[in-house]
Amino acid sequence: MTADARDTSISRRSWLLAGLSLFLYRARAEERLNPSYDGDNLRVSAPGLHFLTGKPLQRLKDGATVVYLAQLGLFEDAGFLRPIRLAPIDRFAVSYDIWDQGKFSVTMLNPTPRTSPNLSAPGTEAWCLENMAISTSNLTQEQRFYLRLEMRTADQRDLSSVVAGPGISLTELVLRLGKKAGVDDPKWIREAGPLRLADLVRMPGRGPRNG
Amino acid sequence: MTGSMKYAWLGCLVFGGLLFGGTQDSDINVNTRYTVDAVSIFGKGWKTTFLENHSDQAEQTQKLSTKLKNDLVDLIGHKLNPSVLDSLAQRIRKELSAREVGHRLLRSDTPDHVQVEFEVTPARGGVDLNVTQFSYNSRLGWSGAGEAGFNLRQHYFLFGLVSDGEFLPERYAGFNVRYEDRHLGSDRVALRFQFESYHDVWNSGTLEAARIDNRVTSDPYRSRENFQPSLSVTVAKPLSLEVGASFQRFDSQIPGLPTEAANAVFTTVRYHRQIEGAQNQQDVDASYAMRLAAKTLASDFSYARHTARVRYHIQRGKHSVTDELWGGLLAGRAPLDDRFVLGNSTYLRGWNKYELDPIGGNRVVYNSVDYRYGPFQAFYDTGAVWDEGQPATARHSVGVGLRASILSLAVAFPVRGGHIEPVFMMGLLY
Repeated sequence: MTADARDTSISRRSWLLAGLSLFLYRARAEERLNPSYDGDNLRVSAPGLHFLTGKPLQRLKDGATVVYLAQLGLFEDAGFLRPIRLAPIDRFAVSYDIWDQGKFSVTMLNPTPRTSPNLSAPGTEAWCLENMAISTSNLTQEQRFYLRLEMRTADQRDLSSVVAGPGISLTELVLRLGKKAGVDDPKWIREAGPLRLADLVRMPGRGPRNG
Repeated sequence: MTGSMKYAWLGCLVFGGLLFGGTQDSDINVNTRYTVDAVSIFGKGWKTTFLENHSDQAEQTQKLSTKLKNDLVDLIGHKLNPSVLDSLAQRIRKELSAREVGHRLLRSDTPDHVQVEFEVTPARGGVDLNVTQFSYNSRLGWSGAGEAGFNLRQHYFLFGLVSDGEFLPERYAGFNVRYEDRHLGSDRVALRFQFESYHDVWNSGTLEAARIDNRVTSDPYRSRENFQPSLSVTVAKPLSLEVGASFQRFDSQIPGLPTEAANAVFTTVRYHRQIEGAQNQQDVDASYAMRLAAKTLASDFSYARHTARVRYHIQRGKHSVTDELWGGLLAGRAPLDDRFVLGNSTYLRGWNKYELDPIGGNRVVYNSVDYRYGPFQAFYDTGAVWDEGQPATARHSVGVGLRASILSLAVAFPVRGGHIEPVFMMGLLY
């Protein structure tokens, strides 16, 4: 082997670093929130975000309805401490068809209920994100901002007993509302930024939305 | 910011809940199109299944209220309503004192039908305090018993105090301690160790009768202790079997005399079944018990005690009728506390046990019919207690009473010629 050949060969350390970088890049990509802009609203996709998993999925497979609460927010800073705008919280009620296994039904409960049946798990997750949006009306084209998606499950027992139950004590109400999210109440967060509207590719509009 | 976000979420939860209250779970769950054809409740090693015209009940769910059972059965034959499952699970959890009750749907054997399953997770532990008996009889005085205990999973530890002048020829007072493993490899098998220590007080009539009839029973004793290990097995669902041994020691009233022992083996076979129809509820409880003491067990007494009991109860609306039949036979010389007694607040009410037979008898036959309408009660008792070789004399009594929840008040009259003195009874019945 000549000296030139040795110089141009790639060392094992380089291969290892390249492999690790690729892994980290892919992991980072899966964590990423992809925004799209239709001229009025920002919409998001997150191919790596899977919320039909774990205990919520088990509850769905047991025949229960799982309600996901999701919210988009625009922030001035990378620490997500100074909000520019917070969209209303969207609620998605998901159920799993016991007899047509692998198929989910999802209903967006606000502003007016809309249902999409017979969806696969990725299809359900994508449908929820596709139906979320946040208005950019108070952003300038050059303004830097950060985008954050926060999603969690609502405790169905709390909802039904607090809202429709025969009665609940004030103490119980405080305890239930004040409790921290535990392993049964998972939470998903995806972030993107810094972004500028001017840098985003403008997609065909979907009509105005008061987000 | 974090704080404000938290309150925004909480606010949304409540407000969203209010909105969600309008859109019911039954509207948005895809499985509401399916019909429920079975409901079951299960735990570790047991399962109760409700079908449209049949229920197969495990012992663990027999204490569920009729209303809850009816609500569970009402799910069957109708389209699934997921919104009621949470409240049903909570009611099951409360009535069974379970730690958690979850629910799930399963595909049924019939297309487009589903089964609803409730899974019961038992409580890890707990502390319990119970008054198990509290009664007053105008002839026999006060009697009471209570116990306190705690459990760690299936292991129960109980300590009890007793003062009873009703059920035995003597009045006894003292304590008992008990350990139970209610899941010995299976929910069908339970192991129990019990120790009792009582001090005894005797009626002068009993002392006199015992002195005369000292060949048929023991001398009155000052105190007695008993150690009793036993094993209970649920053979088939309504049928259970208990086997065990009893090691009793009697301290003589005369200082210096040696203690006497009554060591025995015993077995009880019990059949208990509840039958719930659309209009009425029936309960059949039958048992046979045998106690065998022998010299080979290092016992000073040698005897065989047999008892058989059948109780039938039927309830329809506010009306209920109960009939209880009880018979017993003692062969051999048994200690006083194993002899049969009538004439207390439970058996042959209205009579005084000390007048009937102050040391009890070795033969007994008894029947009671009890009718209730709401809180009002009327009863007719008849029975005889006697010794082998003596004539059996049947006695009768009638009475009326009031029962509100566990509080009971009754007056009973012995049916006989001459002066009739009623007996008043009150107490907490469990």
